[in-house]
Amino acid sequence: MIENLGFIVAAYVLVWGGIAAYLISLRRRRGS
Amino acid sequence: MIETTTAPFPTIRVRPWLGLLAAVSALIATFMALIWAPTDAVQGDVYRIIYIHVPLAWLAYLAFFVVFVASLGWLLTKNPWFDALAVSSAEVGVLFTGMFIVAGSIWAKPTWGVWWTWDPRLVTTAIMFMMYVGYLLLRSLSTDFARRATRAAVLGVIAVIDIPIVHLSVLWMNSLHQLPTVLRAGGSPSLDATMGMTLGISVVAFTLVYFAFLAERMAIELGRQRGVQGVRA
Repeated sequence: MIENLGFIVAAYVLVWGGIAAYLISLRRRRGS
Repeated sequence: MIETTTAPFPTIRVRPWLGLLAAVSALIATFMALIWAPTDAVQGDVYRIIYIHVPLAWLAYLAFFVVFVASLGWLLTKNPWFDALAVSSAEVGVLFTGMFIVAGSIWAKPTWGVWWTWDPRLVTTAIMFMMYVGYLLLRSLSTDFARRATRAAVLGVIAVIDIPIVHLSVLWMNSLHQLPTVLRAGGSPSLDATMGMTLGISVVAFTLVYFAFLAERMAIELGRQRGVQGVRA
């Protein structure tokens, strides 16, 4: 069992999720 | 009348390739960070957050330095292209700063035992974040393009002073935050070669993401400028 796995996953999901959300925001603004 | 240049930034041909390259390198970097890189002898696996935390911090520094250069460009030339570059880089920099603060906080909990502490590095970083959020808010206070760009540029020139303060705060003051691991004076990076390579690839990946976002955001801003009365594309 990997120690502190929840913290690692949380950090990566937040960062890459944030990047994906910003990408979607850019695409929407570009389309409007 | 303020004029913009007609083709001021990489357009249709470059942007999709840049985005694709950024996505591929991000996948490779994530694989290396989570699977390939060895476990740290002291911190265990949670240290792997370094591969997102540190590149995001460096790219935030770069983004805000670009704001500084672009702000000088606007003040010296009054070319709206520089204003578009400044606001685009500031927005991406704020995003990256917010994310590296959150990633750092998640890393702090299992290693320091707290989500946040009033440490010099953390406080100066929070100030940097708020200054550039303020920069973006300042831009909404005026509808006059030139006035808005000039006010923002003055702040963009002043705010850059916080970047060296953030980086050197761990050397100037007693800090819970670790000392610089890679960008440090008088020595080579204090990092295992495999870890160093993984960090290098992660920096490349986030750099490509930064430039891909910058290109997209600039295209939007230049499009807005063309629609603003008094700014002719």
